[in-house]
Amino acid sequence: MRAAFPYLGRGSWLASRDPRVLLVAAILFVIGASQLRDSRQLGVVLVLALGYYCTARIPWRAVRVQWIYLLAVISFFAFFNTLISGGRTGTFTGAETHVLFTLPPFGAEISAEGVSLMLSQVMRYAAVAAIGFPIAYAIAPGDLGVALRRLGVADKIAVMVDLTVRFIPTLAGEFAETIDAQRVRGYDPTARKGGPITRLRRLAPIFVPVTVGSIAGAEDTIDAMDLRGFGVGRRTWLRHLKFDAFDFVLLGLFVLFAIVATFLNVTGRTDHYLLPFLV
Amino acid sequence: MTTTAMGQSEGTWSVTTRVIVYAAIGAALYALFNWLSFGIAMPGTNDVSIRPHYGLLTFFGFAFGPVVGFLTGFVGNVVGDQLTGWGAFTSWQWSVANGLAGMIAGLFPFWMASRMSSPGSKAVTAAVAGVVATVIGFLFIFVELVTQQEMGFNAILTTEYIPTVIGNSIAAAIVTPILVLAWEPLREQLGR
Repeated sequence: MRAAFPYLGRGSWLASRDPRVLLVAAILFVIGASQLRDSRQLGVVLVLALGYYCTARIPWRAVRVQWIYLLAVISFFAFFNTLISGGRTGTFTGAETHVLFTLPPFGAEISAEGVSLMLSQVMRYAAVAAIGFPIAYAIAPGDLGVALRRLGVADKIAVMVDLTVRFIPTLAGEFAETIDAQRVRGYDPTARKGGPITRLRRLAPIFVPVTVGSIAGAEDTIDAMDLRGFGVGRRTWLRHLKFDAFDFVLLGLFVLFAIVATFLNVTGRTDHYLLPFLV
Repeated sequence: MTTTAMGQSEGTWSVTTRVIVYAAIGAALYALFNWLSFGIAMPGTNDVSIRPHYGLLTFFGFAFGPVVGFLTGFVGNVVGDQLTGWGAFTSWQWSVANGLAGMIAGLFPFWMASRMSSPGSKAVTAAVAGVVATVIGFLFIFVELVTQQEMGFNAILTTEYIPTVIGNSIAAAIVTPILVLAWEPLREQLGR
């Protein structure tokens, strides 16, 4: 079982950026994209986001399943939202809708407004995902802690995130060992008998030893850190990060995007756009 | 025996070495199980699925305090979303909601210390804490009314909040006390 962040973007232009840029860019992008509602603006933003994503050179074959899953889930929820709201949310709240057709058996309305809202929602999510994917695949896992620290996150929290990433492969190994050990004792992890509560309780022979064993094992880590005086003084990091000119330009563009999106939102220039060909 | 580091106080909101390591373990476990995705579908429902590992974050909060609970939920969900390829910030509001649920579960032992005299009462309190923390913590997802204006109140309530709270409450009510009962003897043995 291999549970770790695959560094798929290694060697790409985006991976050679300071990791802080990727983290701050994603936060600024979420701030900006959350304020945009017009599907034409979101369309432009999505294209730019995909351009940014491509600079990470993440092999399509390696993330194809993730993209399909993500788009399917987003589309499902957006469609469900359309069914429930009938297109009477956002800018179209209280407006008369243009019903395209109704779905049996309850006669749920699919309106031009609903489809327009669905499009905005799917494009926003896809754009945010395109900016977020490189954090997983174009930042060296070992750089995450120091990047957070240099962004002003407290030393202890930065170390905690670093430890989390480092613990995952170890715990995945312990999990696999526990399943094997319980299987030897007659436990069947694939059993599908019983209701959800029974099945939930049946997971206890896996969950309990892995969790309690990990906590007990953590005592050694705590002792080792305490003995080295962790947390009693300022911590230094071996890895040094430095912005270059490209980093500043990239960050500047994301800051500009957040400012423009805020301006459009505050001045009411990003209302939901009703797709004209549906009316 | 454990050495206690100088200068690190052990208050409810202190961030000590112990808090850091327990939170890292909790977040790593939560992220790992998120990645393995143990969803158990509820019969007769469309999209209610019980995620047993959700009980981990309410357990970590209940057993080790609100800071550990928040970090386990928030960082665990962020890292888990990254592992599955969903993206760390694609659903940031869910990560915050998970963190809040863990934090609220972590406040219960302080509020209800007098009612936890025996392991049985502690387990019952843990189950209650898990459910209450889930119901309150996940109210945060209504922030989508601002960030996802396409989502109406009814849509968030019926497609997101209620199914999630039902599934997670069941997981928290069953898994949290099981883990509390398993952890208690070891905790006493370790002298925590």
